[in-house]
Amino acid sequence: MEMFQHLFFGFSVALSIQNLLYCFIGCLLGTLIGVLPGIGPLATIAMLMPITFNLPAVSALIMLAGIFYGAQYGGSTTAILVNLPGETSAVVTCMDGYQMARQGRAGVALAIAAVGSFFAGTFCTMLIALFGPPIAEMALKFNSPEYFSLMLMGLVAAAVLAQGDMAKSLAMVTLGLLLGSVGTDVDSGWARFSFDIIELTDGIGFVVVAIGVFAVGEIVSNLGEAEERQVFTSKVGTLFPTVEDVKRSIGPIIRGTLLGAFFGVLPGTGPAIASFSSYMVEKKVAKDPSRFGHGAIEGVAGPESANNADAQCKFIPMLTLGIPASGTMALMLGALMIHGIAPGPTVMTKNPDLFWGLIASMWVGNLMLVLLNLPLIGLWVSLLKVPYRLLFPAIMVFSSIGIYSVNNSPFDIYLTAAFGLLGFLWLKLECPPAPLMLGFVLGPMMEENLRRALLISRGDPTIFLRRPISLGFVVATVLIVVLMAAPVMRKKRGSITG
Amino acid sequence: MINVMRTQTKKGATHMRKIYTVILAVMFALAAGAAIAQEYPAKPINLIVPFAPGGASDVVARIISPLMSKELGQQIVVDNRAGASGNIGVAYAARASNDGYNVLLGNIGTMAINPALFKKFPVKPVRDFVAVTQVVDAPTALVLHPSIPAKTVKEFIEYAKARPGKLNFGTAGPGSNGRLEMELFMDYTGIDLVHVPYKGGAGAAAIGLLSGEVQCGFQTLASVITHVNAGKLKVVGIAAQKRIAALPDVPIMPELGYESMKSGSWQGVYVPAGTPAPIVNRLFAVMTRVMADPGVVKRLGDSGIEAVTSKSPEEFAAFMKNENEKWAKVVQKVGVVMD
Repeated sequence: MEMFQHLFFGFSVALSIQNLLYCFIGCLLGTLIGVLPGIGPLATIAMLMPITFNLPAVSALIMLAGIFYGAQYGGSTTAILVNLPGETSAVVTCMDGYQMARQGRAGVALAIAAVGSFFAGTFCTMLIALFGPPIAEMALKFNSPEYFSLMLMGLVAAAVLAQGDMAKSLAMVTLGLLLGSVGTDVDSGWARFSFDIIELTDGIGFVVVAIGVFAVGEIVSNLGEAEERQVFTSKVGTLFPTVEDVKRSIGPIIRGTLLGAFFGVLPGTGPAIASFSSYMVEKKVAKDPSRFGHGAIEGVAGPESANNADAQCKFIPMLTLGIPASGTMALMLGALMIHGIAPGPTVMTKNPDLFWGLIASMWVGNLMLVLLNLPLIGLWVSLLKVPYRLLFPAIMVFSSIGIYSVNNSPFDIYLTAAFGLLGFLWLKLECPPAPLMLGFVLGPMMEENLRRALLISRGDPTIFLRRPISLGFVVATVLIVVLMAAPVMRKKRGSITG
Repeated sequence: MINVMRTQTKKGATHMRKIYTVILAVMFALAAGAAIAQEYPAKPINLIVPFAPGGASDVVARIISPLMSKELGQQIVVDNRAGASGNIGVAYAARASNDGYNVLLGNIGTMAINPALFKKFPVKPVRDFVAVTQVVDAPTALVLHPSIPAKTVKEFIEYAKARPGKLNFGTAGPGSNGRLEMELFMDYTGIDLVHVPYKGGAGAAAIGLLSGEVQCGFQTLASVITHVNAGKLKVVGIAAQKRIAALPDVPIMPELGYESMKSGSWQGVYVPAGTPAPIVNRLFAVMTRVMADPGVVKRLGDSGIEAVTSKSPEEFAAFMKNENEKWAKVVQKVGVVMD
């Protein structure tokens, strides 16, 4: 088949010594910045772009792309080890991954995360090769009404994220929505809830909240309990997953990959949505959902595959249609153009070596990352043996450096401290932070899309029902609400089963 | 006798020492003065970009800074200070030391439009910065979705006049130059379009245009050129001073009678007010050479951005003042208030 010919050609390009070297550099760098909180692939790619000017286009892109998905692999490492999300999409991995680490199963979590990510990467490479352009065309059918309905469904389904008290979870979601509304109004440009603090007019950064609530809050809480640390460091058990673990992970990996691919292709969905959705789906289909939040391996396998699939599939609209699905993709697009290549429908025929070489190197990059990360698991896990009194200052320093590096703004650090305090309070009050993050992420996007949809329909709310895809999501939302409301009316419950 | 002689010698020695000291001191002072004049730049220079990495300003900064480093003999450090539509970076640059070690890459938004939009913002670029030179212009184009059956600006105006309030135009935000340009255009032509803002910059608005959610808009050529070449979008007019090489058949707005629409999203180099004139002139000379370098011109050109320099710092200052006045009028007419 013609595609295999193309792929073969692509591999011949990707496997040249030079390109292999650049791929390796990119993946290594990506993993390192993925581990570091705050600074992400966007800033790194921006900084390294001038270096790539003198490289041939294919090599430059292979390196920059390696940074991008390397960061996905690296971000989950610290999320699992110390509850510190290195990348926004790693927030979800914190929830069960860190619990697994506390139970001495950090190695297992890291291994499954790496394997799941590799599977997702392989799948997406095939997807791009086979269906790239048609998928991108389909993605264009998603306009503001569809995005709103999709996110509404996600928000409603988020009640599934509830651990324990339903009221608390709903409260946290609402708080997340409120926090997300800080910033600038989309239509009028007016600042909202900024209290005349100029840094708040762009809203509160996701990284700030995530690191504050998850990492800092956890540290403060740990410091308050002297004996806790023994449990943490003594049980560094097996490094390899058991057969049971593998069996449990297969389903989540497949589902996570599909979900991640879906969200990756849609421009206009941010990071973290893929992994959140995967977590919710896994919790929904699990036989015993109460395990989630306490070290369920499905809660690591699914989201990790999802966020890697999401990262890879973001290339599809960019390469085939020239539509950047995120800021990082816009930068890659810029890098391509600087090298004189205009992505779009013609790039496959005019620059086949670039297109197929890049796709082949995606798979090579994923392979490299798995080979890089798996042996390092032993090293990472031994990091946990470091006495906590040395470990936590290191975490704080790295986090602060990372957060500061995003915007060179001391205000961000103050804000992280404030959220650290809040995170600690919420831990003590047993308010789950995950729904808050979801509300925080979805809220602003929902609002933007809702208002734009209504603007375009000139105020007519039936636009959400007249467009078929949107209608589908609305119907699904209603079904979810009905399914969840029914059991509640029958019994009072501690956790959601549905 | 000998005592008197010894005292005399001692006094003479001290006197001579005093003279030597004075001579030495004057020599050092002269040398130091000469050194200060020669030594700029003696340490790395900050190039302050008031936008996040990856945006148009950042890309330009990263394309020009390697050559600037070479020309000046010192490292240029790109310092991203994003936020509040660029105001955070501008405020930071205005407060920075005016010894030539802090340079701001300002653009049409931060230096000409924001002063009119954010009346409470204390920094006024015309007063608080010295303009060095323009560096680039990213021409904006009047882009149409294929669903509009117009092939020229004139046809578009007719089509729009027949449907007041029915067509949407997409922009990067209520205070963006894409929006204000369209408002200016609507004012000239008497058409009535509905403004639809997108968060996420020019890229997001271009996606809206591609999917047909909005039917037209003023977009930077860079963000739409691939789609135009693929036939997914049409360009009927470009706001530039001369025709664009990539689209030679598309007329420029001044040709069609819109005299004031002759620049797109421009960017320029500024230093804080009070920077000594020799440093300003040195920077001007360096930037002119950098922007004339064929490598820089090509890389910018491939991104749809043109390297443009002013004839002198004074010319750029006059241009900026003109832009300030032009957009202030548009902002007032449209009634956009962002505080």
